[in-house]
Amino acid sequence: MRNYLLGSLEAERRAALEESILCDAGIYEELLVLEEELIDQYITNNLSPSERQQFETNFLVTAERHNNLRFGRLLRRYLDSQPVYVPPDDIPVTTVRHDEIDAPATKFFSFAAGSFARGAILAVSTAVVVSLVILTVLCWRASRKPEQPIVEANSSPPVRVTLTPGSMRSEGAVTPRVSVPPRGVNVRLDLQVSNPNFHNYKSELFRESKSLQTADELKAEPQGEQHVVPWTITGDVLSPGDYQVKLSGVVDSGADEFIDNYSFRVVKK
Amino acid sequence: MKHDWILSQEAFDDLLDWLDSDREQAGIKYEDIRRRLIKIFTGRACVEAEDLADETINRVTSRLSEIKEEFRGDRARYFFGVANKVYMEHMRRKQPQPPPPSTTDSHQVELEYRCLEHCIESLSEENRYLLLKYYGAEGSAKVDRRKQLAEELGIAPNALRIRAYRIRLALQDCVEKCIERSEE
Repeated sequence: MRNYLLGSLEAERRAALEESILCDAGIYEELLVLEEELIDQYITNNLSPSERQQFETNFLVTAERHNNLRFGRLLRRYLDSQPVYVPPDDIPVTTVRHDEIDAPATKFFSFAAGSFARGAILAVSTAVVVSLVILTVLCWRASRKPEQPIVEANSSPPVRVTLTPGSMRSEGAVTPRVSVPPRGVNVRLDLQVSNPNFHNYKSELFRESKSLQTADELKAEPQGEQHVVPWTITGDVLSPGDYQVKLSGVVDSGADEFIDNYSFRVVKK
Repeated sequence: MKHDWILSQEAFDDLLDWLDSDREQAGIKYEDIRRRLIKIFTGRACVEAEDLADETINRVTSRLSEIKEEFRGDRARYFFGVANKVYMEHMRRKQPQPPPPSTTDSHQVELEYRCLEHCIESLSEENRYLLLKYYGAEGSAKVDRRKQLAEELGIAPNALRIRAYRIRLALQDCVEKCIERSEE
């Protein structure tokens, strides 16, 4: 997609991608996000010389993109003038200015050299604040959702569902449905592919544009007269709703090539 | 193509009906298709991407009586086929020069900056925090900062990218409106 934006994608791949841009909301939004990232990389000199030239020649073709570049520069100017955030282990939204970060430690020593009473108050206050911070962090961690589980070996066989690519499904076709799997039971998605010759396959599971799981190193295998890319996902992340899977193929050079999207619906038992 | 064909309100209503029987949904689909066609023509380095997108929509609309009974499948794909033809015709015509980057005076730049400050202040605290933290870091710190932020918010890195982008888009929209108001 990056090559597409820089105008260096070969015609055949470009046509396939453009069709996805028109028909797939997820791909379209990904393109928009990448456009902004490319603009930022241009502004912050993070493009190679050849990419920079492609950006200026092929990307900056419309007034809209010039406006986006202009806004990107404006935002960068604002960000560069802003205080630096304290690392996230500390309380969010607390900020420290550059001059405070750069201030020598003498500030602290001059303060500590004050009266004993002031030092005692400081010690007690610090202890209370530190305790509160620790307590807050513990509560916050306890209330956080657990990290995304990886698919683990499970004694129960996975639920299997075969999915047809979005581009091959006829209009009005019913979206495949999967019942919410029992706890601990995984779901194996057999993603039908017309081209089984990619080196590897990469997949990403979305729900309402939120990425839930990814996998790479997937391989295609025959299934009857078709080929499928099997992908076993953690059943516990599935709750009733609509899901999408984005599948890409990895060519020998290591580059990704978008293949298709797949949809399924999880319903209550 | 019927070259003298003009998009009438009736034809436009037919197009909306074809896109979706629900008028509100049809309007959303129409806007979606138009925006994406513009993006496709832009991707092909067409300076007049908007004009070409409108031309594509006009052509589809002009053929509706012929296709609406027989066409099956995703309507958007039909637009893609027509867009390819519009593009090929466009390429046969003389290519206009790309527009020069707009130049503005320092007064204009300061106005834009004030609007940006105002719009950032109008963001919710959570969105402001995300925006500043997501876009604030550069270089090697950027990757770590964004990873930490995603963990902090309990969302996947890709979801964070999209969320940051949406905030940025809303911010840009706010700035453009602010500038328009200031210039009135």
